[in-house]
Amino acid sequence: MSAIHCHQLCKTFHQGDEIITGLDHVDITIETGEFVCLSGPSGSGKTTLLNAIGGLDTPDSGEIRMGDLRIDQLKRGALADMRLHHIGFVFQAYNLIPVLSARENVEFVMQVQGVATAERARKANAILAEVGLQGLEDRRPAQLSGGQQQRVAVARAIVSQPDLVLADEPTANLDSVAAAHLMGLFASLNENHGATFVIATHDKRVMAYARRLVKMQDGKIISDEAQ
Amino acid sequence: MAAHRLHFSVLLTLSWRNLWRNHRRTGIMLGAIAVGVWAMIFMTALMRGMVDDMLNEGIHNLPGHIQIQHPDFLDDPSVANSIAEPAGEFEALLQRIESKRWATRIRVPAVIASERETRGINLVGIEPAAEADVSGLPELLSAGRFLESRKDSGIIIGAKLAERLETRLGKRVVVMSQDPDNNIRERGFRIVGIYRAKLPGLEEFNVYAARDTLQQLLRIEGRVSQIIVVGEDYRDIEPLYRQVRQQAPADLQVRAWYEIDTYLATMFNMMDGFVLVWVIIIFLALSFGLVNTLVMAIFERVREIGLIQALGMRPALILYQILMESTLLLLIGLGLGNGLALATIKPLESGLDISVVAEGMAMMGASSMLYPKLTSSDLLLANSVVILLGVLTSILPAWRAAKLDPVRALNST
Amino acid sequence: MKSVVLRMAWRNLWRHGRRTWLTVGAMIFSNSLLVFSISLQFGSYDMMIDNSLQTFSGHIQLQHPSYLDQPKMRYTLADIVANAQKLRDELALESISARASGFALASSNKRSHGIQLLGVDAKHEPLVSTFPGLVNEGRYLGPGAQEEIVIGSILARNLKVGIGDELSFLGSGLDESFAAGVVTVVGIFESGIPDLDRAMAQINLGYFQDSFAMQRAGHSIVIRAAHIDDVDGLMARISAGIDDPSRIVPRDWNELQPGLRQAIQADMTSAWFMYIVLIVLVAFSVLNTQLMSVLERTREFGTMMALGLKPIHLARLVMLETGMMTALGLLLGITLGALITAYLSVVGFSYPGMEEMAVKFNLPDRMYPAISPLSLTLGPVIVALGSLLAAIYPALRLNRLQPIEAMRAV
Repeated sequence: MSAIHCHQLCKTFHQGDEIITGLDHVDITIETGEFVCLSGPSGSGKTTLLNAIGGLDTPDSGEIRMGDLRIDQLKRGALADMRLHHIGFVFQAYNLIPVLSARENVEFVMQVQGVATAERARKANAILAEVGLQGLEDRRPAQLSGGQQQRVAVARAIVSQPDLVLADEPTANLDSVAAAHLMGLFASLNENHGATFVIATHDKRVMAYARRLVKMQDGKIISDEAQ
Repeated sequence: MAAHRLHFSVLLTLSWRNLWRNHRRTGIMLGAIAVGVWAMIFMTALMRGMVDDMLNEGIHNLPGHIQIQHPDFLDDPSVANSIAEPAGEFEALLQRIESKRWATRIRVPAVIASERETRGINLVGIEPAAEADVSGLPELLSAGRFLESRKDSGIIIGAKLAERLETRLGKRVVVMSQDPDNNIRERGFRIVGIYRAKLPGLEEFNVYAARDTLQQLLRIEGRVSQIIVVGEDYRDIEPLYRQVRQQAPADLQVRAWYEIDTYLATMFNMMDGFVLVWVIIIFLALSFGLVNTLVMAIFERVREIGLIQALGMRPALILYQILMESTLLLLIGLGLGNGLALATIKPLESGLDISVVAEGMAMMGASSMLYPKLTSSDLLLANSVVILLGVLTSILPAWRAAKLDPVRALNST
Repeated sequence: MKSVVLRMAWRNLWRHGRRTWLTVGAMIFSNSLLVFSISLQFGSYDMMIDNSLQTFSGHIQLQHPSYLDQPKMRYTLADIVANAQKLRDELALESISARASGFALASSNKRSHGIQLLGVDAKHEPLVSTFPGLVNEGRYLGPGAQEEIVIGSILARNLKVGIGDELSFLGSGLDESFAAGVVTVVGIFESGIPDLDRAMAQINLGYFQDSFAMQRAGHSIVIRAAHIDDVDGLMARISAGIDDPSRIVPRDWNELQPGLRQAIQADMTSAWFMYIVLIVLVAFSVLNTQLMSVLERTREFGTMMALGLKPIHLARLVMLETGMMTALGLLLGITLGALITAYLSVVGFSYPGMEEMAVKFNLPDRMYPAISPLSLTLGPVIVALGSLLAAIYPALRLNRLQPIEAMRAV
């Protein structure tokens, strides 16, 4: 596993006639095993930073390295491979493929990775049990509650032991109990599996779990503190 | 390799389940494909049946697959342009041909007179034993008997001609023609048989007598107008045609059916073109709906496509998944369409009566019963056009889906 | 209110521009194909009828009632030349000609062939038949001339005669006597119809009547109408003028050439089978599009119902949208089809093998589609009706909508 280095990242968007600054010369390094929260109001650039690190979006300038790998210079196919093997994503909602059951959603990434059937099933069952969804493996997303859906998403993000888990407002649609449950899960996965977590959020309940809190505003990092 | 198999199975699962997410849309599209494929196959089978019938009829009436004759016979079909009966090497070859079907015949213009009427006819001298294979005449007999030997003294005329001549079975008629020296020769014949042709025009025109009897009448002993050779299948006579050409005496003209009757040849050749055009027109009409269905299916799950991209599925796999979905749709539609076509063609195989337009069909050279003919090559054509062009037209929407920007896709509503 | 609904329907169509265009595209494709092939069909039928009838049989013939089924010498019309003239005067139509017909054995000094010998009125025959114009060697018969004959090209070849050569003919006259004559070949025609070129010859009617002992009788009075649509009117007038239907009846072209109409019918049937398949496929397209459009707007429709609209209003909106889409497909389809067809009606249209087909059906070897208001609109209008019909199901589904549930739907 390698650390993430971002150097002088810039990104602008066009919305109508306006030019919006997404990232403004951002420098940040995230070490292996960290549990980082990116916080800030909406439009502060936290999602943009997350997407840039995850290779979903390419910065206009600057560089992102994962170890020796220049993420910002990869082609689409290579980026997809990088996400497949090194990164797990958890989004705010609509995280799951609706036509696949909970287990199949978790197995999906492993299947694309080419993991053998038996191993896939074993890992999927184990991780679903770990996130507390035993017995619900064969349900389709529509038959699960919002919190359960997010836990499936987390299980899927963590199952192939990625270097980095990126979560964008994972608790936005959850009530307090479900949100606490999910954050507890993140924390324990961080401890037990040693995975690096970067969570973009403006949810105070989430920030409480952070061990490093990065505050952003107008595309800039305004504070970066260990908690 | 293993990874590919896994990819395939995950793509197949996704495709199959996505297909049934909107069962109404998929159902309607399947209905359209099934109707289109049914129409392709059904119509083709009817047309094939008709053209096949025309060709069989036409070839029976020529008759034969290959004709050998005097080079001047075509311009001047008189006894003067007769040829010697085959002998030596040539006869040996004819005896060797696989179908064993060949015959000589005499064909001269003649005049037939009953007690009341006189008509111009085409007088044909046949070898009765071979005629069933050559022209199928014995089957057409509606009254009386067929000629029994090459020396039979009877005559067979068409029902329509009998009506025109106001004569009937058992009556005598006088036939007049010329010998090679231009002397008028005439002879009385008893009508021993009446035939009904599938194409009415011929009934008035062709009159059949025994070959040797006519040779004697016309003073051309040992000579005939034509040698008729029939192969196994008119579609495949080239090897036989080559052989016959090589062995036939150099001063004779050898012609295959498609050279004798260019209309038949045209019908035969055009049929494939017609089938292709028809299949493609139907496909094009279907393609709009197919693309539309895919566009809608993709539109509904843009966010999901963004998600699987984020999860690390390469754009190519997304393209494959959508193509697979379209392939599944096409395959099911093809299955239904083929089944429907078989189910509608089978009961019609005993013949579809179209005698309401019999005379119109006769004008085209077809008879008033239509026998649909399902050929494996037409089935293959229809199915492969639908699947190949179908997948091809799906590439554009699939490619657009694969090219979606993941961030935008994820944020779309 | 009206204009708001119209504007709403129009905008709704373009919410999914690509989907609408694909559906309209299917209509345009089918409509232009229908315009083209229906125009081509009409064009070729007209041509087939005209060419077949003009060559020889004319639009109407007056005959003895038995002559059609049994064209025998003895079924004659009396005083045929005078009666033809009377008819010309009554109908104020010049293109009427008398004919007599018989079988004969024609002999040159080398060959003999059975022929159909026709006695014609050399003055009026060119007005009813294209035969005289098809003489491509020598000339046509001179009016009233005796002992002249015009023969078909294949017959000339078979008899081995040319212009200026003598032929003798031998037949049996009306009174069963020998009918014989020696004539000079003055013209050779080539109609391209092998049966006619092989066995047809024409001499002057007067000479025919003399030779076949027919006195002033003949077999048919051939009438060529100015246009095929005039035939029914002419038939009615001719029938009214006939005193004795047991001796003379008019036969229209359907009776004279039954194969023609049937060939057209057979062709029509197979063509319409194809058209209907196309129309059904378009209807499927519309059904799919409109059903999807209704289903995805469930929420929106729920809101509108909550605002007080009734399902019938919503159904009308859906039908209005379909109508607009259909109208677009209709207009663009007809325009495109008309452009293609108009172009081909000038330069002509041909495909490999058409020449051989054309000969069989008396058609020229290039076809020229005939654009008419009917050929332009017939197919597209049926497509439009089919489309509107297909939209009824999605529109009716709106009746099942419950506002609260609908608003909850995604």
